Amino acid sequence: GVAPLGPVPLSKDHQFQFTMLESAFLHLPHPSDSERIKLYLPRNPCSTPHYYNQGPLPHSDSLEFFQRLSTETLFFIFYYMEGSKAQYLAAKALKKQSWRFHTKYMMWFQRHEEPKLINEEYEQGTYIYFDYEKWGQRKKEGFTFEYKYLEDRELN
Amino acid sequence: GSSNSSAHIQHGMLQGRDFDDPPGLLEKTEYLLKEWLTIYSAAPNRDPGKTFSVYIHQMNVQGILKSDDIITRFFRLSTQMMVELCYRQIPDQSQSPSTVRAKLFHTIDAYVKLIVLLVKHSGDATAITTKTNLLNKVLGIVVGVLLQDHDVQVTDFHQLPYHRILITLFLDLNAPDPVLESINYPILAAFCHTFHLLRPRKVPGFAYAWLELISHRIFIGRLLGLTPQQKRQRAYDQTPVTDVQGWNFYAQLLIDLFKYLAPFLRNAELAKPVHLLYKGTLRVLLILLHDFPEFLCEFHYGFCDVIPPNCIQMRNLILSAFPRNMRLPDPFTPNLKVDVLQEISLAPKISPDFQCYIQPPSFKKDLDLYLKTRAPVTFLSEIRTTMQQSCCEPGMRYNLSLLNAIVLYVGTQAIQHIRSKGLVPNTSTIAHSAHMDIFQNLSVDLDTEGRYLFLNAIANQLRFPNSHTHYFSCTLLYLFAEANSEAIQEQITRVLLERLIVNRPHPWGLLITFIELIKNPAYKFWNHEFVHCAPEIEKLFESVARSCMVHKQP
Repeated sequence: GVAPLGPVPLSKDHQFQFTMLESAFLHLPHPSDSERIKLYLPRNPCSTPHYYNQGPLPHSDSLEFFQRLSTETLFFIFYYMEGSKAQYLAAKALKKQSWRFHTKYMMWFQRHEEPKLINEEYEQGTYIYFDYEKWGQRKKEGFTFEYKYLEDRELN
Repeated sequence: GSSNSSAHIQHGMLQGRDFDDPPGLLEKTEYLLKEWLTIYSAAPNRDPGKTFSVYIHQMNVQGILKSDDIITRFFRLSTQMMVELCYRQIPDQSQSPSTVRAKLFHTIDAYVKLIVLLVKHSGDATAITTKTNLLNKVLGIVVGVLLQDHDVQVTDFHQLPYHRILITLFLDLNAPDPVLESINYPILAAFCHTFHLLRPRKVPGFAYAWLELISHRIFIGRLLGLTPQQKRQRAYDQTPVTDVQGWNFYAQLLIDLFKYLAPFLRNAELAKPVHLLYKGTLRVLLILLHDFPEFLCEFHYGFCDVIPPNCIQMRNLILSAFPRNMRLPDPFTPNLKVDVLQEISLAPKISPDFQCYIQPPSFKKDLDLYLKTRAPVTFLSEIRTTMQQSCCEPGMRYNLSLLNAIVLYVGTQAIQHIRSKGLVPNTSTIAHSAHMDIFQNLSVDLDTEGRYLFLNAIANQLRFPNSHTHYFSCTLLYLFAEANSEAIQEQITRVLLERLIVNRPHPWGLLITFIELIKNPAYKFWNHEFVHCAPEIEKLFESVARSCMVHKQP
C-alpha cells in the first residue's frame, strides 16, 4: 500500500506542529513579500481563464525581444518598472535606437537632424524627446544637450 | 568560526526575551527610527553616505552606541516595533492587501537598510569580526523576538514581518559592495544558523516563509554556486576537498525540511497544508536536480536516511541526480555492457561520513572483526538484534539509519576487499565472502518489514554509473538468484518495481538492474508465481517489459 510500514498515530507534538502549519496556511507568504517594492505595478495575483497566457512568452527577457517593442512601451517600462531587469533591457534597447538619456531632465532625447553645433561640451540642434509627464513625444528646436548630463555608462 | 557566530546568535536570542529596559529607551528608539525613516524616504535607493554619519552622530547623542547592551536593546525594540506595526496593519480591510504591504515594506526595508549600514560601518573597513558579531547579534534578536511571538500568539502568529526582515536583510547584505563581499562567508554562515534555528520542527507557524527563504534563488545560488571546475571535481572521491562549507549548510537545511515532513508523509494522509509544503519541497528538489545535481549526488545518503520509505518519487528525484559532465549510456541499449564503463571503477563522493552512524562502537568492532575473519557466526544474528534494540522512533521496529549505514559500509568494504585481491567486482567475485554472508543473512533472517528496509537500503545505491551502483546492482541480482524462498525474490521485485512505476525521473542504476533481471534468462524471472499472481500485476509487468524494449521470455 501507500504506507508500507503502516500508519502511526501522530504524537501530541506532531499534532501541534500540524495545527500551527494549518494556521500559517491561512495567511501564506505573498509573492511580493520577498521582492523589492514595486511602486507603480504591484503584484496583484488573481485567477485568469486557462485559455489566456499564464506565463510570459519564451525569451521575453532578452534584448532581442525588447528591441522589437515600440518606443512607447520601452519608455513605459523605463519609468514604471524601476530597478528591474526589464528597465535595464529597455534602456539598452533605447540606446540601440540612438536615444540618449538626459540625467538632469530625466528624459530620453533623440537627434531629429544633425546638430547645428558640436563642441567638447555640448551639442545643439533639433531633438525629439519623450515627455513622461505629458506622456508623449515632443520636438524641441535649438536645444543644447550638455554632455555632462549625458548618461554614458556602458550597459553590458 | 561557526561556534562563535552561534554564540552571538544565542546571546541575541536571550536578549529577545529581556524586558528590563532602562527608562526612556523605548521613546529614544521610536524617535530614532522615525528620524531614520525620514532620511531613508528622501532617497530610498541611494546609499546615504553623508546623511548616515549625521544619523550616527544622533544615535551617539541619544546614548545608543554607548554599550553593546544598549545597542542590542535598541535592535530588539526596533524589531518589536516592526512586528507590532504588521499586526496593526494587516487586518485593515479598508485598503487592498498590496497597498497595506507596500506601506509596511517601506518601513521594514528602511529598518533593514539601517541594520546593513550599521553592520557595514561598525569598526573600521577591515574589522571583520566586529561586523559579523553585530550581524549575528541582530539575527539572534530577530530569532528571539520571533520565537517569543510564536509562543504567545500561537495560531494567530504571522510570518510576514520576520519573512520580510530576513529576506531583505539577506539580499541587502549580498549586494555588490567591497566591504560586504569581504564578509560574505560569515554572512552566509550567520543566515544558515538562523534558518536552522527557525526550522519547521521548532517553529511550525513559520514553515512556509522558511521554505521560501531557503529556496530563494539568491540564497541557493550563493550557497551552492561553485565554479564549474569545482563541480566536476566533487562528484568522485579522490579529489581535493575544496572550501564548500555552503553545501553542508544547505544539506542540513534540507534535512530539517524532510524531518519535519516525515511523520505526515509516512502516513500518506496529506491534508491541504501539508500537501502544499510537500509540493514546494518537490519543486525545490527539481530545481536542485536541474541546477545542482552534484549537490544531490554528494548528500543523497543523508537525505534518504530521513525521507520515509514510501516517498518514492521524492527519493527518485535525489537518486536520479548525476554529475553534469557525465553522459549516461541509454539503459535500453541492447547488449549494453555495464562492466566496460570506465565510471564504474570510481567511488562516488558521500558526505557526511556515514560510518559514524554505526553505533555502538562495540558493534562496529564486532562488524569489522567479522568482515576480517568471517567469524564468529553468532555475529550474524547479533546484527538483527542490535538494529531492533537500538530503534527509538515510534512506529519503527528497526533502527533505519543503522541499517542504511551497515549496508553501505559493508558494500564499500567489499569493493575494497575484492580490489585488494586484484579483481573487479562482478556477479561471481562478490560471492562467498564475509560481506555477502552478511547480506544473505539479512535477506533470510529479517522479517518482511526488516527485509523491505534492507532491500531499500541497497536500492538507494542504484544511481549513476559508479562503483557503488555497480556493486549493489550485482548484489541485488545475486540475492535474487540465490534466494532460498520466493518471498525474498518477490520483495526484491517489489522494491525495484515500485520505484519504476512512479513518474520520471528514474535512477539509471535502478533501470539497469531491473532490465537485467527481466532480460537475463539466468534469473528465470517470468517463471515466478508472483509475476502471474493477479491479472493486473501481470499486465503491469508486461507493460514495464515492453517499455524496457525486451522480448518476454516464453
